Amino acid sequence: MSALTSSKLDVIPAEQTQTRPEDRWERAVPVFGIPVVTPFFLVLVALTLVALLLTGYRELAGLGPVSGMNDAFGWGIWKTFNVMVLTALGSGAFAVGIAAWVFRRKKLHALMRMALLTSFLAYACGLLLLGIDAGRPWNFYWIVFPWKWNMHSPLAEVAICMSIYAMIPLAVENLPPVLERLWYFDSRLRPRVEKIEKQLHSVFPYVIALAYLLPGMHQSSLGALMLLAGERVHPLWQTPFLPLLYVWAAAFMSFGCVAGTTMLCCLVWKRAMDMDVLDEAARITYWLIYGWAALRLIDISFREQLGTAFHFDRFAGVFWLEMISIVGGGWMLQQSLRSHDKGKMFLGYVVSSLGGMIYRFSPTTLAFRPNPQALYFPATIEILVSLGFIALGCAGFLLAVKRLAILPGPLYLWHDMASYFRFRRPYIRWTGYFKHGFFGENEEISKD
Amino acid sequence: MEITRRDLITKIAKTGASSAVVVTVGSHAIREEGEVIPIPSTAVGLLYDATICIGCKACVAACAEANDTPPDTRGDGLHQAPDDLNDVTRNIIKLYKPTDGTPSSYVKRQCMHCLDPACAAGCPFQALHKDPESGIVSWTAERCIGCRYCTITCPYHVPRFQWIGYNPRVTKCELCSQRLEQGLKPGCTSVCPTGAVIFGPRTVLLSEAKRRIAENPGRYYENKVYGETDNGGTQSLYLSRVPFEDLGLPEIGPESVPAKTLRWQRRFYQYFALPAVLYAGLVQVIRKSVKGHVQEAHDHEKETGLRAQL
Repeated sequence: MSALTSSKLDVIPAEQTQTRPEDRWERAVPVFGIPVVTPFFLVLVALTLVALLLTGYRELAGLGPVSGMNDAFGWGIWKTFNVMVLTALGSGAFAVGIAAWVFRRKKLHALMRMALLTSFLAYACGLLLLGIDAGRPWNFYWIVFPWKWNMHSPLAEVAICMSIYAMIPLAVENLPPVLERLWYFDSRLRPRVEKIEKQLHSVFPYVIALAYLLPGMHQSSLGALMLLAGERVHPLWQTPFLPLLYVWAAAFMSFGCVAGTTMLCCLVWKRAMDMDVLDEAARITYWLIYGWAALRLIDISFREQLGTAFHFDRFAGVFWLEMISIVGGGWMLQQSLRSHDKGKMFLGYVVSSLGGMIYRFSPTTLAFRPNPQALYFPATIEILVSLGFIALGCAGFLLAVKRLAILPGPLYLWHDMASYFRFRRPYIRWTGYFKHGFFGENEEISKD
Repeated sequence: MEITRRDLITKIAKTGASSAVVVTVGSHAIREEGEVIPIPSTAVGLLYDATICIGCKACVAACAEANDTPPDTRGDGLHQAPDDLNDVTRNIIKLYKPTDGTPSSYVKRQCMHCLDPACAAGCPFQALHKDPESGIVSWTAERCIGCRYCTITCPYHVPRFQWIGYNPRVTKCELCSQRLEQGLKPGCTSVCPTGAVIFGPRTVLLSEAKRRIAENPGRYYENKVYGETDNGGTQSLYLSRVPFEDLGLPEIGPESVPAKTLRWQRRFYQYFALPAVLYAGLVQVIRKSVKGHVQEAHDHEKETGLRAQL
């Protein structure tokens, strides 16, 4: 098995790092043999419930008593962290998808289900919190009257585009694992499931194309939001290129989130890692990071603001923290490709994504200076609600990977799972489940 | 010749691409249309002359009375003494008093009623709306989702959000439009004892301001009317002895904030042309990818005997 399962994170000789042919990721396999309800899962559910209760209080009391928001800082972490930062991490369906479907990096298809799931959860939780953050959420119904939209407003573009994206293309793209579960669950459902799948495949190109156009638009519009704030955003961040930098940052952050989460899951649930796929992802990520950093530095020097990066104030500190962690993470990824070091690769993803998170957080909060006295720090309730909606996403993820075929794995793992259910769960009435072998694999033969 | 669906899409995409690029970057006419600020036909506004204001705050009380807002006694629990514009204060008099002995000045703060308001440019469902005739920027409760984007975009930091309660409102000066309908002047201008703030059509106020500058050379800072061209022009005009920057009126330049910052955003989404072409191109590429991918998945299915995963 891989070196990480024995928790050795140091450099491994090259011959040992070659993925064995049988370890290659060929199939998405559910995590099996572990109950969904674990103590950790219960903690996540408890956090979510607390957040929902506090949300009820917020709807009655207003935003002031539950948050640190004020006249100067009109936006708190619900918008600036849960939406701006976490949907960037959840742009995997966009960035990994474009690499796989548009640029035809075929190996990345192994990561697509992870990307789609993380995106859906990040967007769904972000949108829920966006509704709670809105002061007058009942007026959201204007969203169904396009002639009432303010088409030139970046915020309208974000609100409308994000809702449509999460509700239509992302949801449709996430259907195949669900349909697959139904197909395996009951043989009587198979004809109907196959019919739906056929229809789904015929609309797929149009849905997938929409799933790249919409996030491209709203992830850049998230950057355009702060353009209107003008000079109140520190010049190191305020630039006409903010939309492009935002969408680009989302690209490398989501690669980090998808590949990093997959590596973490493989580590936790002791799966083999397919280094061909992970190397491909790491290569794309570090090129994205270098390109982003180059664009940012060129932009700053062309606007003649490079000097402000050397004023020893908090803005310069945040700037260097961002740049060093993002570029340092990229450098670690590049190194990990040479030394075949999984630990370094994982660390590279974590560090570069953290840097990206700070970058996406800065223009609205860390580098936003409405006036010299203005101060914002989230209130306890605000933090609890924010955490609760992150916990909801994590709980959803744990449930999904244990019930649906999301995580990539080698072929033998699928057969392991089949035998597991055959022999360890005999009391379940598998209606027609094993009629054609373990998982329908001998269907063609038994038809004859 | 038979035209297949694929040919048709390709042809539409090819003709569409060139026209979309023209719409986005080219054509002078389209650029003008998007970026010239129309001045309302009968724009009304305020002229505030800080040099004759005595800071009596009669206008603050009159504003509260005209708009029926409760007194803001949150400062000491006794006196109506708000320290800034807030959810119950649409108009306020502040004092700028430098420590180095240079001249001090009062300043009246209320909505500037910009000709190209940033708050309305950012408002997602047009809750903040500029009246095409009077040019008054007003807020509509039924359209507002409470996103507070206006409090971030306004360069003068005027709209304020109500932080308490389940039904919050956005508060800003609406030039007492309900009084204007009755033929009355806005609350603040009707009580000012020295005439420091006057109401009228913007053109009249502008010539009055220029007359005052011509009659008193050297009295006003840079002989300038703030709002004539600043931020694309505003309907509240200011005259002052001290630099406008010190009174909370930032140096923005003749181009309005939305025109300056959202230029590319506006061009990109003009008629939705570029996104549409991008979509057509993506569909073309992805159709081919999906075809190949499905084929590979089925080959793999035959190889392993396990159902294809797509």
